[in-house]
Amino acid sequence: MDFTVLGGAIGEALTLQSFIGIGGGVLLGYMIGVIPGLSRSVAIAIAIPMTFYMSPYIAISFLIGLSKGTAAGSAVSAILLNAPGEASSAATALDGYPLAKSGKPKTALQVGLLASVFGDILATVILIFVAIPFARVALMFGPYEMAAILAFALVFIAGLSGGSLFKGLAAGGLGVLLATIGLDQQTGLPRLTFGVTELMDGLPLIAVAIGTLALSEMFVQSERLRLQRGTMSVKLEHRPDDRLRWPELRRLLPTMLRGTGIGTAVGALPGLGPSVGSFMSWGLAQKLSKTPERFGKGAPEGIAASESADNAVIPAALIPLFGLGIPGNVSAALLIGAFAIHGITVGPLLLRDDPEFLYSIFAGMILASLILLVIGWYGLRLFAQVTRVPPHVVIPVVIFFCLSGMLLQGYGTFGLIVLMAFAVIGYLMKKFGYSFVTFIVAFIITPMLELNLRQSIILSGGDWSVLLGRPIALVFIACTLVALLVLAWRTVRGAVGPAPAGD
Amino acid sequence: MPRQNFWSGLVVSAFALLALTWIIPEYAGSNPLAQMPPELVPNIAAWVMLVCGAIVAVGGLVGLVRAGESPLTFAIDWRGVAWAAWPFAYVAVAVWLLTMVKLTWLGVPLIALLLVLLGERRWWLVAVCSTVPVAALYVLSVYLMRVGVV
Amino acid sequence: MKPILKPFAAALSIAALVAASSAPADDWPNRPLTMVIGFAAGGSTDIQGRVLANVMEDYLGQPVNVVNQPGAGSAVAYTRLANNRDQGRTFLYGGITALTFTPIITRVGYEIDDFEFLATLAVGQNSIVAASGQPFSTFEELVEYGRDNRLTYAQQTALDEAIMRRIAAAEGMNVAIIPTGGGGGMAPLVLGGEVDFAYSGGTHAQYTDGGEMIVMAFMGPERSPFYPEVPTLIELGYDLVMEDYRVIAVPAGIPDRARERLVAAAEQASRSERFRRVTEDNTNFPVVFYDQEETEAAIRRIRAANEAVLGD
Repeated sequence: MDFTVLGGAIGEALTLQSFIGIGGGVLLGYMIGVIPGLSRSVAIAIAIPMTFYMSPYIAISFLIGLSKGTAAGSAVSAILLNAPGEASSAATALDGYPLAKSGKPKTALQVGLLASVFGDILATVILIFVAIPFARVALMFGPYEMAAILAFALVFIAGLSGGSLFKGLAAGGLGVLLATIGLDQQTGLPRLTFGVTELMDGLPLIAVAIGTLALSEMFVQSERLRLQRGTMSVKLEHRPDDRLRWPELRRLLPTMLRGTGIGTAVGALPGLGPSVGSFMSWGLAQKLSKTPERFGKGAPEGIAASESADNAVIPAALIPLFGLGIPGNVSAALLIGAFAIHGITVGPLLLRDDPEFLYSIFAGMILASLILLVIGWYGLRLFAQVTRVPPHVVIPVVIFFCLSGMLLQGYGTFGLIVLMAFAVIGYLMKKFGYSFVTFIVAFIITPMLELNLRQSIILSGGDWSVLLGRPIALVFIACTLVALLVLAWRTVRGAVGPAPAGD
Repeated sequence: MPRQNFWSGLVVSAFALLALTWIIPEYAGSNPLAQMPPELVPNIAAWVMLVCGAIVAVGGLVGLVRAGESPLTFAIDWRGVAWAAWPFAYVAVAVWLLTMVKLTWLGVPLIALLLVLLGERRWWLVAVCSTVPVAALYVLSVYLMRVGVV
Repeated sequence: MKPILKPFAAALSIAALVAASSAPADDWPNRPLTMVIGFAAGGSTDIQGRVLANVMEDYLGQPVNVVNQPGAGSAVAYTRLANNRDQGRTFLYGGITALTFTPIITRVGYEIDDFEFLATLAVGQNSIVAASGQPFSTFEELVEYGRDNRLTYAQQTALDEAIMRRIAAAEGMNVAIIPTGGGGGMAPLVLGGEVDFAYSGGTHAQYTDGGEMIVMAFMGPERSPFYPEVPTLIELGYDLVMEDYRVIAVPAGIPDRARERLVAAAEQASRSERFRRVTEDNTNFPVVFYDQEETEAAIRRIRAANEAVLGD
């Protein structure tokens, strides 16, 4: 690495104009992320026309700051309202909301923010020093490996769903079934679309996720209002010890390190996406914890695991982008477009032809993380007050934002109907103890898994010995089988033991 | 809880059965040439739902019988159902109205009415909570995303 | 303008554009226009479209709002456009496969006659590509190699698959066809050596400069200006064509004045440096300007050709 280039790049990153550009991006992203239904891709789409007037470096840093801000912002609504801004923050809500409700909203937000920034900066450092030279490693992950990883993720995450295993599996089955709606990936013929043109692209993920996660939660809370009114105060007490202390933070460090590792690996593999990362990380933290029963009930480790992985995915998705020119996920693909507007072709040649530009972007990314830390740290004092706002005031506003999120993305009435349908489904699942997490993860993973399985089957020509030359795939197949055995064992033990509690 | 398991398991398996016998054969299409025909994954999913739903239902039934309750009789708390259902109805009506009116124009009464229905009586709070989000949406859609009024 | 002010200037200039309806009141348009994009925000069509809207807005003197109507490869957007009665104030920018291909395989709620196609602004670059360093480097060598070896081909649509099946059958090649679900999925398969060759709609552009991918055949009717040395399928002796255009479509029967002004704005945009840069650098789609007559004739011709290929 050429350190004079690096120095010049850092110099450019530290100018006042870059501070303003990046800071503006982080702030805008943070505000958009807090609104359920407005995801990273929306934020970037909003911002791209604004970047026409900026210099290429400011424009790109602005957009990267924006996506970081969105990721951190969507954790805020996940923690405080149990209404994650996007699917990848659903894992954060699992522990964040209980912790906030127990009177420690500030601690929950602080853990979330610190884990975000930690995962972010560490993954950026990995991106700069390790990953780009080794980006080609990602090409070793062909269809066999991806299918094995996705199958593992599906089984592993399905096994996490607390409560009844069979209910979890049934919910997962529904997710898989609904994910197959749309044009068949190979023949292009409609599958389960019932002749509806809008269904040809499948059910829009954003509508399914916001309906199941955020909108249904508003209905659950409005129902709860009836029980609470008169009997207990809806106003939460704020505990005086609501503050993150250093010993506690130190205990979270290993979790955040693991989360960053998982997030980086998931981000570096094109196509997996942040939801897989945050749920895998949450699950691993639970498996490795000495007190797994605290997870889902307000364990700070759960927030740290999910958020560090979720945010590590963002810089890591740039590994294949800068190393190979392949976008790691949707927001990285959006960045290609933004680069193109400024006349820059993204890919391995960028490092060779214009390293100073590339390094100034990296410096800008780290700066964005630090700005995020400052904005978030002061912002959370303000946001933590949201828990003082009684739920009956929050509910109408969040419902409004769920609806507007769909309309802003152009899905129209169809999107609203899907949103509403999945709010009903999500409500019933919460009511009857079916894991909506398993459902949504199955819905996200299935299309990728089916595609990679198909590719593997056709590529191998039915000859399974091909797998012997694919050690990575074999490892993940073995992991999948172990996870299945563990699940089966848990089930059998549950069956012969005392009758399983309902949920 | 056994009662809920019994009925929800029954609904899940009934839906899965419907999918297996009618929805998937009728609408999934088929491709005998493909190594992985399009109906394969939906069928696996439906089978998983059928088996798991049945197990949950049977588990619920066993629980009910052990507790000496009849699975078929149940008392529905109609007031509770009504309370749970009206917000859905409210939003469903809003979705129907949104086919004719833009959300930006409908937003203020939408939020304000729901606030009042949920028991808020301070007029200034209703005013602020209904106008600020709508104004934010207007700025976002018209000036930032430039998709026009939604 | 000092660069430090740029982000603010962006917001200000947007506000100014909304405020200043500088066009004469009697001229068209006197109200904001809507550009429909048939894909979700952030795709290549969306990014081209947003720049195009920006350029057209400067020319027409009215804001051009961009609305995404994703779904079914633009079929949803075309369905809604067919029922639009905005007298030309709503138009679509996008590809034509929803007209030339989708109606053949499934029932849709519109026909080609429901629209007018005012102009073509860019031409797609459908090609057959492979990673470099394979035992073959031209299409003839590929065919030769494929007669004795099992080849794997990454498809993206039923149409390119049908074309490849025809070639394979005619040449007696053994080709296994793998679905990829889009250009983003194709690149890792080709670069990682998982498949031998692939269809590409334009993604290959960023890999050919560095020599990681080679283009073996071009699927359009004439050679690509970017790869003039690459033969077309027709030149190779197959009567097969796969074309894609980026067009501006409006519902049929809009007022003459609206048509005139939109066409003028489109022609202006085709000469704009901003639109050219985003379209050519991002997706390697050459920017062109074909007028209405030419565009509509091309769409009908492509539709007929696709029906012939998919017919059996």
